[in-house]
Amino acid sequence: MDATPTSELTSTPGQHVVEPLQDEGGGHSTSRRPDPLIGIHLCGSTALVWRTADVRAAREAGVVGSLVGALPRQPRQNGRLGRPLQLGQEELRLLLEKQASGDDIESSAPNSEGEVQQAQTECYEEEQRSSFEAQSILALEERKSALLRAMGGAKQGGGTSQPDGGVSGRLEVLDQSFVFPRSAVAVQLRTARAGLSHCSDERTLLSAAQPGSSQRAPRSESRFQVFRDLRQRGYYITSAGKFGGDFLVYPGDPLRFHAHFIAVCVALDEQLPLVDVLAVARLGSNVKKTVLLCSPGGPAAPVHYTSLQWSGMV
Amino acid sequence: MADPSKTDDSERIFSELLSPSELFAARSRSRKLPVRGQKDFYPSGCTQQKQRLQNSLDEHWELVSEERVERLGNLVRGIWNPSDQIVELQSPAGKFWQTMGFSADGKQCLQPEEALYLMECGNLQVFHRDLPLSIQEGYETFLSSSQLSLQQYQVFGHLKRLGYVVSRFHASSVPSLYERQLNLPPSRDRGANQLKRKRSPSPEATATVASSPRPSEKQEDSTNPSSAQDKATNHSQPSAAQQPIPESHRPPADDDVTGRSWWSDGLVPPEQQQDGGPSPGGPNSRWDFLSIQFPDLGARDTPGPLAPPDPALLPGAMAVGVCSVSSWLRRLNTWREKQPGGNQRRRREEEEERARRRTGPDREVQGCRSWAEYRRIMERRRKGSRRSDRRPAHLWEKDVTPLHDPRQGTSTAELLEKISVVKPSRWGDKSCSVEAVGTWQISFDVHQPAVNTEFRKSSPGMPYSRMCVCSFDGPVPALGELQQVSQQSGHVPVTMAVVDHGDISFYTFKHFLLPCDLPQ
Repeated sequence: MDATPTSELTSTPGQHVVEPLQDEGGGHSTSRRPDPLIGIHLCGSTALVWRTADVRAAREAGVVGSLVGALPRQPRQNGRLGRPLQLGQEELRLLLEKQASGDDIESSAPNSEGEVQQAQTECYEEEQRSSFEAQSILALEERKSALLRAMGGAKQGGGTSQPDGGVSGRLEVLDQSFVFPRSAVAVQLRTARAGLSHCSDERTLLSAAQPGSSQRAPRSESRFQVFRDLRQRGYYITSAGKFGGDFLVYPGDPLRFHAHFIAVCVALDEQLPLVDVLAVARLGSNVKKTVLLCSPGGPAAPVHYTSLQWSGMV
Repeated sequence: MADPSKTDDSERIFSELLSPSELFAARSRSRKLPVRGQKDFYPSGCTQQKQRLQNSLDEHWELVSEERVERLGNLVRGIWNPSDQIVELQSPAGKFWQTMGFSADGKQCLQPEEALYLMECGNLQVFHRDLPLSIQEGYETFLSSSQLSLQQYQVFGHLKRLGYVVSRFHASSVPSLYERQLNLPPSRDRGANQLKRKRSPSPEATATVASSPRPSEKQEDSTNPSSAQDKATNHSQPSAAQQPIPESHRPPADDDVTGRSWWSDGLVPPEQQQDGGPSPGGPNSRWDFLSIQFPDLGARDTPGPLAPPDPALLPGAMAVGVCSVSSWLRRLNTWREKQPGGNQRRRREEEEERARRRTGPDREVQGCRSWAEYRRIMERRRKGSRRSDRRPAHLWEKDVTPLHDPRQGTSTAELLEKISVVKPSRWGDKSCSVEAVGTWQISFDVHQPAVNTEFRKSSPGMPYSRMCVCSFDGPVPALGELQQVSQQSGHVPVTMAVVDHGDISFYTFKHFLLPCDLPQ
């Protein structure tokens, strides 16, 4: 069940832009924004993406992230996880840069004040009531159709002696006596927060929370430059803590392809002890990936790549 | 063309709200996970590959976008209590109650991480201000406090999904060495301990509380009922939320107060003395013989007259003068004992004694009569030792001597001990200086999965392992920090859970002694 009905809905003047990937804020703009807007929320100091549309948009921007929540279909297993999508530091920075204006990212908004609270509570209760009524109608319909199927089957099997009055009689009985128990109503446990929770004051919080370029640690700065450069070349990147490196580099979407490289960020003038080089090269050869030593030249300079491959002299 | 229903639809789709028909249809959703196929190595750009990629992506989005839909009857209702940072259950708990949650004030409660895990599993719905919390709000509300970080919750959820029973770690629940030696049953009431951290009453307070009803009970007499009453008052006095102190934890002074205070010196403060109790002389009637001097009248030097005693010690107005001991000395037998054999023997012994003092302890040397004999003895000795085990002078007469004398028998173990430069240190040694480091703290106790409902929350037993959560970004723990953490954990091994973008790796450090081939 695909959640984005991009084909059916079109943007028309005076209406909310309908495509989920488009502008969510004010009800203006017939024009499409060049970059998709992605809602990112902070939990502590970690950036999380909650809505499916935002997760898709991030993937299309080349940011893979990692799913860290329980999967609703099977919550008690660790093989496949579900939302939220956790973003690394570099991924977050890349997305913020792409959003250019930087004021469309939300931070976690606290609960609103009294009247809005009251309105929301009433709205919720109304929703529950209408949902209950709709579902009881649907349940009744289903029972009736099941009964008809059963009666129809019996009629075919037992000959044509059954009058049709019997069926309608049964249906009437069903109408009167059918009770849809409250405990049988299906309830949705939402993953993402309800409603469009934009707050214009808090939009700038997330981008402001990012340290300025002069304050960043040189290590994180070099990591980000390598990340951006690899992304621009079309590779997909995930984190490689378990492999002893900084990034795992995929030639295509990680869902379908194996990683080719383990990227390790080193400064151009950094002196590496030989044992470290040997260790990382050995590790790479054990997992059949090439080790890539990445050294950013400077803010505008290209990144230098050195690959390590373990070869033997026979 | 303005289409309100379409706007509604789109908004609902955007906010991921399911319509009643979708909710109803969700009852018959498939519960199976699609199997992931083989991955390709290189993107070749062919349409087949693109198609497979598109299929995997579609499958992926289908899974990720699915929302949780549950029957209302299957959901347990809970309410978030921000002041206590717990979730109180409003409807009876389900099967999860066997391994999670605690009781407080008669209500069933859950810790925030347990509540969040159950929300993600679709078993619990938590309300705050009459509105249900979404998973996002749950994360932001429960995990933003200083008690639990997102990384710790990720480890918690990972282990719970694998089936382990995970609970919070309390340093006070680790039994001390003494408790383990006595094999004491641990006092369990984790939840109440957290909610109301009332300290158990101090020993003095219990003793005073206990001793005040005692005079009224004195009429009943016999120490046993009074001590039983003592303990009863001890138990009934504190409020229900407090812990009864285990018997052996109460100080021994308690027992002395009840029955035997008249010989316990100095343990009982004066105000605890009862009126009808022990003799008035009480603890002060003990004599300190070290400070009482007795004159030695049998000493060789005749002592002078004895000084009169201190008038304060004498009854009434009695006055005592100086006591002359001469009459006593006459009655004493101060002659030296006579030895059997008479004087001659005595004289010989005295001579020998004098000779011994002159020539030293060497018996041979004592026996020789002239210098020539002495020289002969010395020569004989020198020759003898050169043959057998004479120590080479150049080795043994200098400042630095060999570590071991080969003439002395020894075992291999002792030799190895002598030549070892670095002593092996055991894991439990307190040899390295360890300051209280706050960064490395144990977060969780992990018990094996509860099969056949064997796990009891009231007495979970020793955990399988304890978790310490960290990340690859942080520093590697130093040896001292590791030792401190493992000491904090007692006998239970500590596992480091390293979180890296949702990926969790587990590391343990095992104590290992280098094997030593020694004949035992």
